[in-house]
Amino acid sequence: MLKRFAAIASGPLLLAVLVVLLVWPLICLVSGSLHEGNSGGAWTLDNYTAIFQTRSSRVALFHSIWISLGVAAAAVVICLGPAWLFVRHDFPGKRIARAVLTLPMSFSGILIGFLCVIMLGRIGVVPRLMEWLTGTDYFSGTAYQLGGILIAYFYFEIPRATLSLESALRKLDPRLELAACSLGAGAWQRFTLVVLPQLWPALLATFALTFCVSLGSFGVVLIVAKRFSLLPLEVFEQIIAFNRYPLAAAMSVVLLAIALCASLTARWATHRLTHVR
Amino acid sequence: MMTPATIEAAELTLERAGESIPPRVRARRRSTAKLLLLALLAVILLVVISPVIVVVLGSFLNTSFLGLSSEQWVGDGTDANALITFQWFSYVLKLYQPQLLFSFQLAVLSVVVCILIGVPAGYLIARGSFPGRRWLEELLLLPLALPGIAISIALIQAYAVIRGRWYFVLFGHLIYTLPFMARCVAGTLRSFDCAALERAAQSLGAGPWQRFFFVVLPSLRHAITLGALLVFAVSFGEFNVSFLLMTPLTATFPSALYATYTFNSFQVSSAATVVFLAVILPVLALIQWLGGDELSKVEQGA
Repeated sequence: MLKRFAAIASGPLLLAVLVVLLVWPLICLVSGSLHEGNSGGAWTLDNYTAIFQTRSSRVALFHSIWISLGVAAAAVVICLGPAWLFVRHDFPGKRIARAVLTLPMSFSGILIGFLCVIMLGRIGVVPRLMEWLTGTDYFSGTAYQLGGILIAYFYFEIPRATLSLESALRKLDPRLELAACSLGAGAWQRFTLVVLPQLWPALLATFALTFCVSLGSFGVVLIVAKRFSLLPLEVFEQIIAFNRYPLAAAMSVVLLAIALCASLTARWATHRLTHVR
Repeated sequence: MMTPATIEAAELTLERAGESIPPRVRARRRSTAKLLLLALLAVILLVVISPVIVVVLGSFLNTSFLGLSSEQWVGDGTDANALITFQWFSYVLKLYQPQLLFSFQLAVLSVVVCILIGVPAGYLIARGSFPGRRWLEELLLLPLALPGIAISIALIQAYAVIRGRWYFVLFGHLIYTLPFMARCVAGTLRSFDCAALERAAQSLGAGPWQRFFFVVLPSLRHAITLGALLVFAVSFGEFNVSFLLMTPLTATFPSALYATYTFNSFQVSSAATVVFLAVILPVLALIQWLGGDELSKVEQGA
């Protein structure tokens, strides 16, 4: 009796928790974005057209997308190196290196923004060091420019990309490479012709994951943005400064839609790539 | 297309050929690539660790010596020329004690709720057999891909009535922490034949509750510990969601960090950051030590 009850009730109970925590708020978000005022009002699409008509939010959306794309691509390419080392090689201090690399995992965006300002701000450590070495304070104020934002976002993605690629590399069958080796393939040929084709789905999945994380993060720009605005920061300002919830909700829905599209595309591609072969 | 047979054959060939290739040649060819990768790793490590070292040093060193800040405000009765001072820590701890305490309570509560809800949830999505199980799993893991700020606005729109209550912030944290616990538990349950163990226990006369508490739970001890640590770390460091959900009375420690970054000097900000690191680093170290390779499967999302 008890067992039957547990078996029948537990699924719906979990569903109820998720509906309360996630589904209902998301429905309210979409409905809020389609209304005029903070508390209801007539149905309208004005909030969405406003995003594309207002120059600042349009630019922010554009920046958000291409910065996230760029950082995700860089993270996938660069972090493949450490991931490869961790899976395929042994070297002294491997555990410590891995621990240090996963350190930024629980740093929030604001903390990374602060670190970025310390290192690359107007009187940051790097400019000071440069001045001491060369006499000119190179990189002074980089934190507040595009370069600083890119570096900070990349910092954010290092552990995520590395861990995700690591788990993919662990699943590769080393025997395929041995076979290629025995057929006379060099290291580079083995990598491009044997490893990469197997790795494509994982690279795409990692790309989508890092893209989504970058897209939603606003702590970094909250600290360092002077000339740059990204869409999450616009959402934040619409609420804190103007108390315009419908517009903020519409921007959030746009962010959600892009993130969902990215992860669905990645999953579809992964599915296709793994099942075609 | 490679069949297992071709692979076997190739392996055999390789083994035979391996005898004729001098091992030193092989090792050298490999080591150039490895050295390049190690250099890359060293650069990345330097980028990751150097700001942290600067912050830790800045929290107790008189940084006007380093030329990092032009002049330093010192409290009453302290030596302005002292090289080392710990006054910023006492300043931060005194000023931001409520936030530190609240964040700690919030993280512990998140862990408790995640054990109560997340563990059964993980069990359900790994072992359950009801229609729509896959959809439920997708829904449970969905928040990991969603921007935190969108979630917080959604919560505000849906539950404006309870805005300002402390458990409103907990709601936001649970959305992001439940997937971690569920994933840990489900991952472990999928890695061994749990059904066989349960059948064995059943054949010995154990009821469903006995099986859950004496067979399933003990084998999940490691996963639950790891999940709890992850939940604690995620909850304690969370900023995106809590910053919009909270009110001045229910402010979390990361928001206190934000306040110091915006309004205080480099030394105070560094000291506050070091306090944050002092809580989070032991947890992260434990996660690394316990988790090892499994982490790559679990740790994703913001």
